[in-house]
Amino acid sequence: MGKILIVDDTLFMRTLLKNILFSGGHTIAGEAGDGDDGVAKYKELKPDLVTMDIVMPKLNGIEALKAIKEFDPAAKIVMCTAVGQEQMVKLAIKSGAKGYIIKPFQAPKVLEEVKNVLAS
Amino acid sequence: MSEFEAYRGLFVAESRENHENLVKNLLLLELGSYQNAIDEIFRSIHTLKGASASMGFSTMEHLCHTMEDVFSLIRSGAASISPDLVDLLLTCSDLIEQMLDDIESGGDSSSKNPDREIAVLRQWIEQHGGKPKENRETVAIPADAIELKEGPQLEEREGRQEFEMRITVAQECVMKDVRAMLALGNLKALGTIISVQPTLDAIEEGNFNGILQLVIESDAGEESLKTAASGTEISDVEIRVVQEQEIPAPDIIPDTIKAVDPDKKQSSQGDKTREIKNLRVDIHQLDHIMNLVEDLVINRGRLKQIAEKHKIKEMDEAIGMVDRSVSELQNQMMIIRMIPLNHIFNRLPRVVRDVAQHDNKEVEFVIEGGETELDRSVMDGLNDPLLHLIRNAVNHGIESPDARKKAGKTQKGYIRLSAHRDRDNVIIELVDDGAGINVGKVKAKAIEKGLITQEVAETITTEEVIDLIFQPGFSTADKISDISGRGVGLDVVKKSIEALKGTIRVETTLGKGSKFELLLPPTMAIVDVMIVSVNGKRLGIPISSIVEVANFRKEATHHIGKGEAILLRNEVLQILALNDLVGASDSCEILIVVQYQKRKCCIPVDVVEGKQEVVVKPLSSFIGNTRGVSGVTILGDGYIVPVLDVNTII
Repeated sequence: MGKILIVDDTLFMRTLLKNILFSGGHTIAGEAGDGDDGVAKYKELKPDLVTMDIVMPKLNGIEALKAIKEFDPAAKIVMCTAVGQEQMVKLAIKSGAKGYIIKPFQAPKVLEEVKNVLAS
Repeated sequence: MSEFEAYRGLFVAESRENHENLVKNLLLLELGSYQNAIDEIFRSIHTLKGASASMGFSTMEHLCHTMEDVFSLIRSGAASISPDLVDLLLTCSDLIEQMLDDIESGGDSSSKNPDREIAVLRQWIEQHGGKPKENRETVAIPADAIELKEGPQLEEREGRQEFEMRITVAQECVMKDVRAMLALGNLKALGTIISVQPTLDAIEEGNFNGILQLVIESDAGEESLKTAASGTEISDVEIRVVQEQEIPAPDIIPDTIKAVDPDKKQSSQGDKTREIKNLRVDIHQLDHIMNLVEDLVINRGRLKQIAEKHKIKEMDEAIGMVDRSVSELQNQMMIIRMIPLNHIFNRLPRVVRDVAQHDNKEVEFVIEGGETELDRSVMDGLNDPLLHLIRNAVNHGIESPDARKKAGKTQKGYIRLSAHRDRDNVIIELVDDGAGINVGKVKAKAIEKGLITQEVAETITTEEVIDLIFQPGFSTADKISDISGRGVGLDVVKKSIEALKGTIRVETTLGKGSKFELLLPPTMAIVDVMIVSVNGKRLGIPISSIVEVANFRKEATHHIGKGEAILLRNEVLQILALNDLVGASDSCEILIVVQYQKRKCCIPVDVVEGKQEVVVKPLSSFIGNTRGVSGVTILGDGYIVPVLDVNTII
């Protein structure tokens, strides 16, 4: 069970993800609506794990990931992605992402990935 | 589906925002504003796709996905945008809007059929050399920023064991290659990878069949390595220790990683105005709360009067506290109900574009001050009149490119819609640089329609002539167009604006253009009124229309024609006795000078009781049209008092 920061530019996706994470017994450290905010919230809240959307305003998910990694190299970040975004996910992983979940989210898969990344 | 039912409202609301952003930026594309608009469109359509997929609205997802493919190509620079494509994409976005309507009313978007549009988009994608299924994203990263966490350096190798591993990625995994990269990454943190099959380069290019074989040198032990390699969607990990003599040559060491498209760093500007609005309340709930607040305001007044009457000190204090809370509550409610004008402004560029295209005109449309806020109820009533004025501006205001050229103007017409807050009012201006209103033509038309006589036409001022365009049944357009001439004239616009307690004003210069100015109260529900009484009957007069309160010196009145007037500080003001409304009174001692636009007049009253904030309730429809009264209010002492509508009595 971990304290999770959700970074996504849509309230819809954040709510969906939040409810899935709640159902798995996790707590939500906070939410951020763009990459900039995500980095700021990470520094402020020090969550155990971050779910990071890729296509976002201000700072995209990859740039935000790198900013967080620079601040905390041990940060555990799971990318939220979609079929067709393989190249972006690979880039994210090279930059230090620890996992990925695919939209549309399937609750069991999301929870499994979050659990595994938290345990790593 | 049912598990997502709870998200439907949120989905629709947010998707509408994205749809709006999509249309807005598609229109920007037409104006030649590129990279940022493309990024914005891509992001909106990508979000729409993801959200609809999550909700299981497959028809909508399919359409959005195809549009996303188109923009992936455009974004990567492989294709450029043509006006035809923008047209097609706008048609698609219309479809998305219809789908959202469908979804809002309980459907799943499948009642709309986007097959034709999708087919055309696919054709476009093929023509532009795209492989529609492989929409690569081009949010890129500077080359120097990418580095894989390197394992321990060579010199640290001593005392380590080598392991051979075979990792199988689960068959159902969607991105097997990415899983392989993750597993490799985890292992790298524990040791040095001597060899790997397939190579990291190959995996990155997508050449991966699900089985990863590698040799790693590490001191972490068998179990730790196994744990590091296992994870989500890893179905099997085999590991064994390699004997000294069987070390394979380190022929393939995956340590060089290329960056992709370092030039195409996504622009991070231009998103400054986009904010997350994360409070969504059903508007009916808000209306209900507003009603309760209104009741509170009325009862607060009542309590105040009781306390004054009985002179109970303790109660006075308590009411003072309640008073403050109620005022604060009322203010907060007002603020909550305010919505930025962008809510309706954002739809207008599309209207301008469509009308201009229909009329073969060229128009530059500029919006300013869309962040100005108005009460939702005012906003609701503003949409139609504004739409009408905008259509009019393009349709009747802006001339054809040829006519403009002849008149020595730029070929492209200019329309500016702006809004700003001015003390207690919100002012919306619609300015065009078109032909302006032809006063002669208006006069002729008014005579023809029987609105005025020839004699009157010769004496009235330009201002009065322009007022004629707001008369019912007036239209100067030579032919009825299907765009702005829908049988509704400017009279309806004026009525709608007045129903909002607003005013409309026109300034025009022949050949130079026109300016329509709407003056609106930011909120309708609660107004400041002056409570007066005439002939023992009480009335409310909105403070906003009062310019002065003066002594009524009867000796200064003069009879002019059928009416009476008074000379007040060198100004002759018409006296407007409210005999019809409350009966004649002989004891009027005070004059309330009211003003509407540039016209002033004065109302004689017996007593001024004071100023009060009241809630004006509209009159029920079966009372009919009551000229002069905008509604009634209940005062603290329970009296029902009519509130004067100054605009219509002057």
